[in-house]
Amino acid sequence: MATTEGTTAPATLAAWLRTRTDEQLGALLALRPDVARPAPSDVVGLATRLAVPVSVDRALDELDAATLQVLDVVLLAPGDGLTRAELVAALPGAPVEDGLELLTARALLWGDDVVHAPEPVRRAVRHPAGLGRPRTPPPADVEDDLATADEEERAVLETLAGDNPVGRLPVDNRGTSPAGPARRLLQRGLLTRVDAATVELPRQYGLALRGDRPYGPSRVRPEPPTVYRDPEITDRRGAGAALESVGRVGELLTALEEDPAGLLRSGGMAIRDQKRLAKALKVDEAAVAFHIEVAHAAGLLDLGGPHRDEWLPSRGYDTWREQALPERWALLAASWLDSLRLIALVGQRDPAGKAVNVLSPDVVRHTVPAVRRSVLTTLGELRPGLGLSTDDLLALLRWQSPRRSDRFVLVPALVAEAERLGIVVEGRLSSGGRGLLTGGEEGAADGMRGLLPEPVDHVLAQPDLSLVAPGPLVAELARTLATVADVESSGGATVFRVSEGSVRRALDSGWSAAELHDFFARASRTPVPQALDYLVDDVARQHGRLRVGAIESYVRSDDHGLLSQVLSDRRTAGAELRRLAPGVLVSGLPADEVLAVLRSSGYAPAGESAGGAVLTRPAGRPRATARPGSRPATGPRPLGAEEVEATVREIRAGDAALAARRTDPARQVPGVTTASTLELLSRAVREQLPVWLGYVDAQGSGSRRTVQPLTLGGGFLSGFDEGRGEQRTFAVHRITSVELVDGPTG
Amino acid sequence: MSDGPLIVQSDKTLLLEVDHPQSKECRAAIAPFAELERSPEHVHTYRVTPLALWNARAAGHDAEQVVDALVRFSRYPVPHALLVDVADTMDRFGRLTLANNPVHGLVLTTTDRAVLTEVARSKKVAPMLGARIDDDTIQVHASERGRLKQALLKVGWPAEDLAGYVDGQAHPIELDQADWHLRDYQQEAVDGFWAGGSGVVVLPCGAGKTLVGAAAMAEAKATTLILVTNTVAGRQWKRELIARTTLTEDEIGEYSGERKEIRPVTIATYQVITTRRKGEYRHLDLFDAQDWGLIVYDEVHLLPAPIFRLTADLQSRRRLGLTATLVREDGREDDVFSLIGPKRYDAPWRDIEAQGYIAPAECIEVRVALDDEERMTYAVAEPEERYKIAATAQSKMPVIRRILERHPEEQKLVIGAYLDQLEELGTALDSPVIQGSTTNKERERLFAAFRTGEIKTLVVSKVANFSIDLPEAAVAVQVSGTFGSRQEEAQRLGRVLRPKADGRTAHFYTVVSRDTLDSEYAAHRQRFLAEQGYAYTIVDAADLAGRGEVNGPDWVEPTAD
Repeated sequence: MATTEGTTAPATLAAWLRTRTDEQLGALLALRPDVARPAPSDVVGLATRLAVPVSVDRALDELDAATLQVLDVVLLAPGDGLTRAELVAALPGAPVEDGLELLTARALLWGDDVVHAPEPVRRAVRHPAGLGRPRTPPPADVEDDLATADEEERAVLETLAGDNPVGRLPVDNRGTSPAGPARRLLQRGLLTRVDAATVELPRQYGLALRGDRPYGPSRVRPEPPTVYRDPEITDRRGAGAALESVGRVGELLTALEEDPAGLLRSGGMAIRDQKRLAKALKVDEAAVAFHIEVAHAAGLLDLGGPHRDEWLPSRGYDTWREQALPERWALLAASWLDSLRLIALVGQRDPAGKAVNVLSPDVVRHTVPAVRRSVLTTLGELRPGLGLSTDDLLALLRWQSPRRSDRFVLVPALVAEAERLGIVVEGRLSSGGRGLLTGGEEGAADGMRGLLPEPVDHVLAQPDLSLVAPGPLVAELARTLATVADVESSGGATVFRVSEGSVRRALDSGWSAAELHDFFARASRTPVPQALDYLVDDVARQHGRLRVGAIESYVRSDDHGLLSQVLSDRRTAGAELRRLAPGVLVSGLPADEVLAVLRSSGYAPAGESAGGAVLTRPAGRPRATARPGSRPATGPRPLGAEEVEATVREIRAGDAALAARRTDPARQVPGVTTASTLELLSRAVREQLPVWLGYVDAQGSGSRRTVQPLTLGGGFLSGFDEGRGEQRTFAVHRITSVELVDGPTG
Repeated sequence: MSDGPLIVQSDKTLLLEVDHPQSKECRAAIAPFAELERSPEHVHTYRVTPLALWNARAAGHDAEQVVDALVRFSRYPVPHALLVDVADTMDRFGRLTLANNPVHGLVLTTTDRAVLTEVARSKKVAPMLGARIDDDTIQVHASERGRLKQALLKVGWPAEDLAGYVDGQAHPIELDQADWHLRDYQQEAVDGFWAGGSGVVVLPCGAGKTLVGAAAMAEAKATTLILVTNTVAGRQWKRELIARTTLTEDEIGEYSGERKEIRPVTIATYQVITTRRKGEYRHLDLFDAQDWGLIVYDEVHLLPAPIFRLTADLQSRRRLGLTATLVREDGREDDVFSLIGPKRYDAPWRDIEAQGYIAPAECIEVRVALDDEERMTYAVAEPEERYKIAATAQSKMPVIRRILERHPEEQKLVIGAYLDQLEELGTALDSPVIQGSTTNKERERLFAAFRTGEIKTLVVSKVANFSIDLPEAAVAVQVSGTFGSRQEEAQRLGRVLRPKADGRTAHFYTVVSRDTLDSEYAAHRQRFLAEQGYAYTIVDAADLAGRGEVNGPDWVEPTAD
């Protein structure tokens, strides 16, 4: 559609963009998705978007050190633009072409034979190649100036000629700067002042000091040493960690089910609850914080309760625990990967000196998922069996995106988290981790399948009243055992202990002694020890001897005759009284209602406090409960392939339209079809020329679109709407204007 | 997925499936670094503690072996974090070493300067350290050797003690194995102890711990101090030593409340050593009375705290601890480790029973229903009185009698904790009573009569809990106890575990008042035995079958005498 304009090179970024193929434009949008949303109307709009500083920064952030060095060369070139040959010569031995390809694909450089850097890119790179700004006026003789520096001063200059040309002046404890080498250099103009405390080495000196390597040392990709280890071992260890984390999360949620944790006013869970859970799970507080956060990220743990102020297992948990182990693990792993929360911050002191609570809203960091993903991606690029130490991984990541190196301080903590989940084992990606990286949650489950034990459906009952489940239990048995026994030890297997308390709990929740006997006999693969049967019978015999019920109020009197009278009095039927014992009547109605009924029936009852004193006035006024906090937002949505295609089409169409607007369009008032409109449309159909239509649809909203007309007749134009990518019909009377896209001359 | 016999739990317990074909091999592999915690019928539980790992290091095992054993036998993948933790813990041992320096005497040296600096700064450790000799060495006064090791263990940096032992004054001691032989496990125990230098041997009651002590003495061939729980136990040691070794009566001294003899082999009671007058221990010079080459601690789990403190001063002498269980009700297992030494040998009770060295035992809990009057008394009693009321209920009496009638031909012990109950039993059963106030002479006489079969039933208080050798006792009836003490239960069972001449099964009865604290405590006590693989049978008093009846003991023709 768009054609290259002969031999003359495009003079602007917009013009160059117009010469790019659809694929190239699509690639640009995919690489810089922020410019595609909302879709720019045409190439000029696209160029404007590409110049937005935030967008430029974001694009630069993703580049590796070698590519940035190529950019540096262009930025440091004296004139505007550099030929490819000049570039290659400037960086001997470096993969310049690759870098150039990456930069032009992102429109951070443009031009085909001569490459140019757009102005916003120049502004975004403050110190190209780690060199300061040029001094104005330029020094007369750089070499002479440098020769004046003594040894001390030379050291300062050499330092500033390294990666960072900016330095801070030393300040003594009185707040003044003592006379030192830096100050002397400043006086002689070998350094320039940035502000009161910082100085900068001017570019001219920096270049001179660097000698034959003006762009700094070669930035080739570091090749850290890797040690091969049988992936099977890695997988087994990873599976161990996976089993452990799934088990822990399960236990954690079971513990919360029984005794939910409260919501703090500042959001999050109280230290007290965290400690309690750590104790219940027999792990340290950091570990329990991690599992709480992962459970929350996976949607298994959330706020609930009547006032939404309790941390409780969610409905998702009920589904989760019925799933097979690999699926359970995959949900945790995938949720961790996408979580915006930097779990390592939990327990750290904030600037005010307060420890950050688990589940606190303060630990949301939007960069975390990207860092996690780059960690896994970097490890995933290695052959299975190979891994990186955390230091080497850090070095590699710093090379990959040097402009983001400050955020990589998180890496050791994130690697530790990944190891806890079994995604990473000793710097190697486990099969589950690899699956997670390539196939998301499903891939993770597939990667872990076969490595995790199959659930068992029985336990071994022992004479010391312990029940050993020699593997992960099927969900139903696990649920039942949680009721009738206490967990003593968990992991690959679970050791349950039946105690008086646990049997009582089972009886309380509706089991009968016979059912318990039956259950143990069915669940146990070994004969049920006699002591266990006796325990059940002993507890069952004692169970239920005391009965507890709920009543709202009572009526008591020493005069039993009076109570009988009240009970048989027809007028008091509304009080719903019944006799519990001689001298005591009870009712399900509140005391004030019973009082009212008795009074209206001609009795003279008096209210009584818990201590037996006569009450004269009701107490307590109702109050509202507090509103819970809000939930954190989710991460950005990636750009799909279809979306990219549609946007490119729209830009092209808009661009074509822009070019066409140079001619006078045929305009008409909607509803009035003019001859010129029809003439233009029939010409377009005949010559198969695309047209730009102004159109008002049935809802009355106007739009501009580019259409490749196919037929015209019966008051309808049918054609291919390029903006929307579909064929459709337009009512001619709704068309407000028509013009040929390429103009009458094109 | 392998199909190993071992399941590694996140809390570092190891579950070993006993019926698995590889279980024996696996047990051998994990025994050096894991404590056997429970050994009930199907699944044994071991625990990997820092102490156990350091034990293993002290015995020459390294982290790689431990990790390999765990990974190799584990049925499921072992969490990586756990393996890392194991390796880290083991790595802490041996960073510090206690050694003899030819110039400076006893010194604490390190291979890791940071660790030495850390412990030297610790408030608990610093007072025991002397002058700093160089960056890696600190002088230690010889008298602080034990206390320093104790303190270093508490701060998590156990020191390897390479300072060695003094030989002590030589004294010829040989085992006299003319009519008996040291059993294999006893020999293994002695070898383990001797190779390690000092430490504890854990063997079930009745498995011949005294002989392990005697064999160790024969190995040391030096003057020996033996510390025992009481005088009767001491005399038993003496008898046994005379019978089993070349030692003669004159060479063995008794150091007790009654006699204060110091001989090449001296047997002292805990009590006499911890006796204080005017706030001072009066018998401390006993430890310096001889240049002891070996100190034996009998029933080390009962070692009183003052003796621990004294033991701290004896670190240059070889120490052997003997016990049936390392479970201390006071939780001072780590003091045993640092002051006496690591565990050098243990064996599950059931294994030794299977080899026929201790008698098989049948444990029966007999439940007695209290009558209405007793129930009422129990219900209204003060909480601290309740156990006594339940344990000493009159309703138990006919049941006890009935149990004894089931075994007319056997030697029977009735064991209780409350003196008035014992007196009452003595009268009702027409049997002599041995309790705290019984003189040693009278005790000796009664025990001797019991051994010969002259007396068939003895009523004993908790004085008989320990170290009394009554090989012929085949039936024990326990009527009351010290609350829920698991140790007491084990000791009492031990009374009837000596192998019988004809391989008979021993019977261990517990008479319990149903639905009271008594049964609750009984359940707690029994857990220990259940964990050792002894399954209790529970019967109601009414269902207690007589001799020759269904479920009753076999009918044995009364021997004509």
